[in-house]
Amino acid sequence: MKTQLDLNVRSRGAMSGVLTMGSLDPAFDAATRVDGGPVVLDLRAVEFVEPAGLCGLAALLEFLCARCEEVDLALAGRDVPAYLERMDFFRMFGERVRTNADVAALGERRRHNPGTLQELINFHTEEEIPGIIGRISEILENQGYRLRERVAICSTLSEVCANAAEHGVSSFGAYAAVQAYHHIVSGARRRGEEVLIAIADGGVGVRETLSRNPEYAEHTTTDNDALRHALEMGVSATGEIGRGGGLALVAGIAARSGGSLSLRSGTGRVTVYENRKNSRNVPQFPGTFVRVSLPRTPQEKASK
Amino acid sequence: MGEEQAHRVFEVASGDFGGKLMVTRRTGRAVREALEGALEELPKGGILYVDTRGVELMDYSFADEALGILASRSASGEYGDRHLVLVEEDRDLLENVEASLRQRSLAMIRVDEIGAEPGIVGEVPDHLVETLQAIYDAGSITNAALATRLGLNHTACNNRATRLAKLGLIHRRVETAAPGGRQYTYERIA
Repeated sequence: MKTQLDLNVRSRGAMSGVLTMGSLDPAFDAATRVDGGPVVLDLRAVEFVEPAGLCGLAALLEFLCARCEEVDLALAGRDVPAYLERMDFFRMFGERVRTNADVAALGERRRHNPGTLQELINFHTEEEIPGIIGRISEILENQGYRLRERVAICSTLSEVCANAAEHGVSSFGAYAAVQAYHHIVSGARRRGEEVLIAIADGGVGVRETLSRNPEYAEHTTTDNDALRHALEMGVSATGEIGRGGGLALVAGIAARSGGSLSLRSGTGRVTVYENRKNSRNVPQFPGTFVRVSLPRTPQEKASK
Repeated sequence: MGEEQAHRVFEVASGDFGGKLMVTRRTGRAVREALEGALEELPKGGILYVDTRGVELMDYSFADEALGILASRSASGEYGDRHLVLVEEDRDLLENVEASLRQRSLAMIRVDEIGAEPGIVGEVPDHLVETLQAIYDAGSITNAALATRLGLNHTACNNRATRLAKLGLIHRRVETAAPGGRQYTYERIA
């Protein structure tokens, strides 16, 4: 008998059919109780995948593959399997996850530059980051992004990747996904474009990392306390002066541009907006997850 | 002003570890080590111009590791009497350098190009700003003259200028003055 892991993909509204990190919540919740037998993850209600959903899916599959004798992925339609193939998903998981989708057929019309930035990257060390940033910057430059925009996107990506490489040590390293959209995907409907960056690692998580510094004892009672504290300038595991500025600064960049940064680890999730911070409790995430939204308003576009 | 001080220009974008995209602490460390090598080759009183104008992107981690730690070691006297000057225009890239130096309560002298009017990046305590400005206006000034100009007693003036010298923002020379006294002269470094 296979254990079925379900999603909570909304069927109505702006986020209808979208695989987000939140839509994986029921599956993460059920994953903590798997007993080693075969599991099937049902993605048939998904019509659209955003980078955060893709990173979350990758982290969830890593978690399941390490614990279950067999992992099945149920997909429907053509768009989602084709998207996953374009993101090199089956190259990363094809050997370890079974699927009903005809991956071989998808492979024949493999991606050639799809016109916008969309990447899923698996990496393990800090050494790999400059190469990743170089490649993303080049794609953005070819897309007509101005230097200022590229700097915001690339420095956000490099900081979150560096955090994952430093604190997120795990067998699978970390997954980062980036996608540039010609419309706004997050939040209220408005005009503009948006870049989404997501990253997931399988490390010990933020609370455990900060707990290593006795100075932060009063800030590590709950996961949400730890996440809020980690977003403060100068808070780091080692407490060394100069450390712990990256995340606070990129959260500031995202918030000022009208976007947001979400940090999720353990059972906590904190989202930073321009004038507020929201915390809520969520099902256990086995590692650390970051999602950044960087909107690109029309007047900021390169005027050519 | 005194004689032309020995100096060297280090272009970050074209060095061995350099490039347009400067990210991660690891890269910052490699660049910092190269900068430290260049500093140590300078004679005493020498100035190292760190030119980052060819760099497009510098993340916080890189800025802190390459420049924040360098400024911190310089302020603790590790490079002896050698000074750092940042060559960079007033643009977004400075934000991360600024953030790193502020975290460390440090500052660096910055010029748009070599020979241009100097400015400050980072944090200089309010009570030292006026002293720093007076030294830069004068180019070179003795403690006695500076004290008069600022309306301070000699000890207070010397304390302020010594603090600025320790931060690496000015050069301090000691001369033996008759009879048996010592006289300090402060000089701008850029």
